[in-house]
This record gives sequence, C-alpha cells and structure tokens, in this order.
Amino acid sequence: MSATAPASSAPPTSGPLARLVAPLIDPSVFDFWAGLVNPAWSWARPLARVVARRIEALDTVTLVLQPNRHCGKVKPGQHINVSAEVDGRRTTRSYSVTNVPGRDGRIEITIKRVEGGKLSTHLCRDVRAGDVVELGLSFGDMTLPVHPQGQWLFLAAGSGITPLMSLTRALAAQNMPVDLTLVYWVKTRAELCFVRELRALAASQPRFKLHLVLTHEADRLADEAQGFISHEQLASLVGALSGKQVFACGPGGFVDTARALTAGVARSFMAEGFTPSAPASTDPAAITTVRVQLLKSGRALDVSSGQSLLVALEQQGLNPASGCRMGICHTCVCTKHSGTTQDINTGDQDTEPDTTVRLCVSRACTDITLDI
Amino acid sequence: MSTTSLHRTLNADELQHFGAEIDALRARTVADLGARDARYIRNILKAVRFTEVLGRGLLLAGAFMPAPWLTAAWLAGAVILGISKILDNMELGHNVIHGQFDWMGDPQFNGKTFEWDIVGTSDSWRKTHNFRHHTYTNVHGMDDDIGYGVLRLFPEQPWSPGRLGQPLYALIFALLFQWGVAIQDLRVGRLFKGRITGKELGRQFAPTRRKMVRQLIKDYVFFPLLAGPGFFTVFTGNLIANGIRNVWTYTVIFCGHFTTDVETFPKSIVKNETRAHWYVRQVRGSSNLSGGFLLNVMTGNLSHQIEHHLFPDVPANRYVDMAPAVREICARYGQHYNTGSMTRQFSQVLWRIVRHAFPSSPAKLHPSLQAKRG
Repeated sequence: MSATAPASSAPPTSGPLARLVAPLIDPSVFDFWAGLVNPAWSWARPLARVVARRIEALDTVTLVLQPNRHCGKVKPGQHINVSAEVDGRRTTRSYSVTNVPGRDGRIEITIKRVEGGKLSTHLCRDVRAGDVVELGLSFGDMTLPVHPQGQWLFLAAGSGITPLMSLTRALAAQNMPVDLTLVYWVKTRAELCFVRELRALAASQPRFKLHLVLTHEADRLADEAQGFISHEQLASLVGALSGKQVFACGPGGFVDTARALTAGVARSFMAEGFTPSAPASTDPAAITTVRVQLLKSGRALDVSSGQSLLVALEQQGLNPASGCRMGICHTCVCTKHSGTTQDINTGDQDTEPDTTVRLCVSRACTDITLDI
Repeated sequence: MSTTSLHRTLNADELQHFGAEIDALRARTVADLGARDARYIRNILKAVRFTEVLGRGLLLAGAFMPAPWLTAAWLAGAVILGISKILDNMELGHNVIHGQFDWMGDPQFNGKTFEWDIVGTSDSWRKTHNFRHHTYTNVHGMDDDIGYGVLRLFPEQPWSPGRLGQPLYALIFALLFQWGVAIQDLRVGRLFKGRITGKELGRQFAPTRRKMVRQLIKDYVFFPLLAGPGFFTVFTGNLIANGIRNVWTYTVIFCGHFTTDVETFPKSIVKNETRAHWYVRQVRGSSNLSGGFLLNVMTGNLSHQIEHHLFPDVPANRYVDMAPAVREICARYGQHYNTGSMTRQFSQVLWRIVRHAFPSSPAKLHPSLQAKRG
C-alpha cells in the first residue's frame, strides 16, 4: 500500500551519464536553464508541478501534484512539507496527503484556508495548474500496518479529515479489511469534504460506516447528527468503544477531548492535533523581555518570553527554516547553547546547555543563545 | 563644539538620535521587502545568465566567421561576457553573499551558499569582506581593504622607497584585481614574517586553489577547446572579458573608500563603539557615485557605498530610495555626504595613488571622532 516511485519528470541525475557530467554542472545554473523549459525540472531539488486544482468545500481546495524524481515517498496518513513563495518569501507548512499515491507518483493535498494563514491562503486562492511548489520531508506515524485488522474508529474534526481520508481510501483500495466507522464533525454543511465519495463508499461497502456531524447548522438532513463530541454522542453513533482502535485528528482541543473520552475503554488511541494545545501554564506576570543571541547571524534580539521563539524571530524579520509549527516535523530544530527554554505544549523546562530546541514550540524563559 | 572642516562633532545625545533615525530608516525599509525585491534579484540573475550565453556564443560563432566579422563578434562577445561577469560579481554575487536576500528563503539566493564567477571563493570573501571590511571599515590595521596590502593610500600607512613604483603596482593590481582579492584572506605577508609555515599556508590555500583551477579550466581550456580551430579567439576573448571585469570592479571599489574626503581611523576607535558610532564611521569612511539606473546596476549599487555600509544586508535595489533620506539625515546632523561623478571621484583616487607613493605625513588627527570618545 505504500507509494510507488514517482514517475520521472526531471532529467537524469543518477545514471552513469549524470555521474560523468556532474563535476561540470553547477546545479543552480542547470536549474536556471532547465526551469525555463519546465519549471519542475531541477538537478537536485524536490519540486512538484500542480496538475489540477479542485474546489473541495468552502475555502478548501485539493491540489494534485506531480512530483519530480527528487521527491521522497509519502504514505497515506502522513504529512508532507510544502513550500511556496508568498510575497517574495518562501513559506513552508505541512499538509496531509489525501489520496493513495499510485504508480504515477501523484499526490493530492487538501488545504483549508486559515484566516490570516499565509501559505493556506496562497495555495487556496492563487495557485493554479502549472504552478510549481517545493516538497520537503514527509512524516507522521499514523500509517496503516501491513495487515490491518479489527474494528477501527476514525474521529475527524474539520480539516482533521485529511489524513483520515487518505487512510480510508487506502483501506477501501484493500477492499476494507477492517470494520471502519468514520465520524466527521464540521461546523456547516458547506465545509464537508469528500462527502459524495464517502457516502458512496458507505453505500457499497458494508464494513464502512459514516456519521456526519454538523455543529453549527440550523437544519440537518436525515443522516446528519449534531453537537460537539461527547460521551453520549459517541455512545449513540458508535456504540461500545471497547475493542476499537481509535484514530483522532483535528484541533488540539478536539483531540484532547477524544482522548479523554476513549482512554481506558478503546483498545488503542492515536491522534494528531493541528494546533498546539493551550500552554500548560503561562503565568502572565512571568512574561518578560529576554535577549536572544544568534551566533551564526551575529545578531541579538530582544523578544517577549510569552511567544514561541519561531514567532518571535519572525516578528523581528528573520525567516528561520520551519515546517509544521506544532513540534512534530523538526524542521526548525536548532542548537541552544545556553539559557532556559520551556516547551509550550508540555511546560517542561530545559536548562541544559547545548541541546536542540524546536523553535516553534519553545519559548525562552531567560536570555538564550542559539546556533542560527 | 569642536568641528572639522567636513563633519560636525556630535554630542552623546545627537549621536543617539542620529543612530535612531538610521535605525528607523532601516526598519521601515525592511518591513516593506517583498515580491518586488524578489522579482528584481531574479531579473538580475536572468541578465547574468543570458549575457553569459550571448557573450560566449558570439566568441564561439566569431571563430567560424570571415575576418571582418570575426573581429566584430570577438569584440562584442568579449565585452558582453565582461558585462555578464560584472553583473554576476557585483549586483548579484556581492549583494546575495551579504545575505541581502536571505529573507526570501530561496536556496538560490542564500548568502551562506552562493558561489560566483570569480577566482576567489565566496567563503573567503564572507570573512574578509562581510566581516572584516564591513565591521572595521577604514580602521588601520583591521580593515585589510585599505590599499589591500599592496598600495599606500593614506599618510598613516608607513612609507618606504619601494612605494615610488606604486602607480605601476596600482595598474598591475587593477588588471589582476580578482587574483588579489582571491588571496587577500591568506595574508601571504605572514609567511615572510615567519608567523605561518609554508605548509599551513598551503593548507589554507587549498579551497582557493581548487576554485582558481576550476575558473582557469573553464575560461582558458574548456570554452576555447569547444571552438576547435577558434581556440585563440575564445581564449583571448575570455582574457579580455576577465580584464574588463577586473578594471571596472577595481575602479568602482576604489571610489568607495579612497576619495579625498574619506576618513580613516586608528584602532582605538572600535573600543566600546556603539552602533551609532559605527554608523557615523561608515558615513565618514565611504563615498558615493552619482548617476542613474545604469550606473547603479553596473556598480552593484556600490554607487550607494554610504547606504551599503550603513545597511549591508538590506537589498541593494533599495539603496536608491533610501539615499535621499540618508542624505537629509546627514545634512541635519552636519555630517558630510561624500558623493560625486565617477570621473571626479576616481581622479581623486588616482591622485592618492600618486601622492602617497611619495613620503607624506598625517595631518593632525581629525578631532571630530576623537573628541566625542572622551
């Protein structure tokens, strides 16, 4: 079920000919001329061309990407870092693949526009077929086992549907080897993604059950439920949780509730939250201004200790490498030489010198020195 | 208040305000960076690539043309390739290597990894230029760009009878400028003073040697061989192109810090220097060239040497908009804004080269910067 090797859309860079000419080639010069012919051609950079754009739902777009040969494989349930230039600045965020990458290597990402979100707004509104984006690392542990079996429960809220949709499609492609129930919460009907396909699958596949839940819609159709996730709601829609393997995906608060409701009852629980949960404890009185010393760039900045280092650095006009902004992809990791940082998610403090910190989920408690 | 002929001495309060105004100009420019600047540097890259192909193409094609056409194609090819190298080294390479476009996050314009069409490595340039020259601008004994260890341009530099040949050295240095810059970081003088062994120097030289060999093979073996019977047409054309680039970059760079009115400073100046002090030193140690868009592009915007030294990591295409503001701030604080036509500025440089070939002694130290240090 894993992705096959992406089809070639780039000139050879690993054959004997390529090895022979490699010492003569300056990759940036090659990329310049190759890019005039086909913007997705590159000597070494993992680029992908947008081959189709579909409106999936309200403020939600699916982009079909044709990666070049330098792009890594990505499995259903995983995220991939996507970079594009927004107002001159390369901006990277991670998005779940929503399809099951096949022989042609094409991947689909489904993007919900976030209010004020730089890349999501660009990808949803500006990007068209023919444009090129750069792909980065793919990551995420919520993938299918070799032989899926048992009773599975997918809990998706909002754009949390995206990784669960690719897993659902992957299971459907295997003729549904598990009993799968998908509960899918959205605010309004217009935000429902993939709904025709999901309904068709539920109608044709007896092992797949679908429950759509609308939380902010006045009138609802016969097969739609309403209300936020709760013990009663799960009991009425899904029945007993015992023996079920639960996968939850959605905003941090939703995932926390889903975990609390199923803990100790379900057989297993796996989750991915989109936004970091609220900080464990941020005493407003403790927020001060701290000095961040940047060794490589030779700069020193005064920032508020109340925000993540990544946000603080960006507000000072820096553009450190970053990806998921939730602490899981490690793109923004750098070495902290001195000072105390706190993990925003866990509240754990780190006073050790020369440790790595993830800028996006760390705040500085004291003056610190970073190796960037 | 003590004054020199050109610069008013600023008291602590004025100095702080001067620095704050320069900081504010920087902040409002940086906040506006975006797609326009990205488009600009991409267009410069395009110009570099297309002129290189055109220049090399003309040299190659010329080799197969009848005599009168050969000369025309050879000359046009050499000049266009020279222009391509100038654009690559100045408006593209020099500015990108400063990290002016790092905010884009595009690996192609990353200051830490960019490499250029010149015999020196960008790594050694980052050290001698970005760090030493820009931090210690015009400080004797710290900024190696004062005469590049070859020329005596200020009376504070020691004189010896060998200096009498300086006008000739200056000419040779101009023709071979890229080679001089390439080995600047090695400070070969250390070898004669016994401060470094030949073996260690050879080890430090290795990366530059690799780059030199690569450049030599490219311009004097690979492309000439491509022309087959036209080997010498291409060989000499490339030689001329490199020469044009050398003489032009030398001229522009010398105009930036060696005109009559620029000041140089003793080592003591950098002790406890504030950012505002540093700004003032950059203004007093730099000189601009007045001209239009073409001059700005062809000099890599070093026509705005003062703005470049105040804001070395702000995209150079912004200097033209910042210059009037800088000039106005300087006027209000009584700081001389040194600018003039290229002819005027370079003739002042030539005069320095000739004048200080002969013995000269420093005038009394400018009290302006000294006084305020107390």
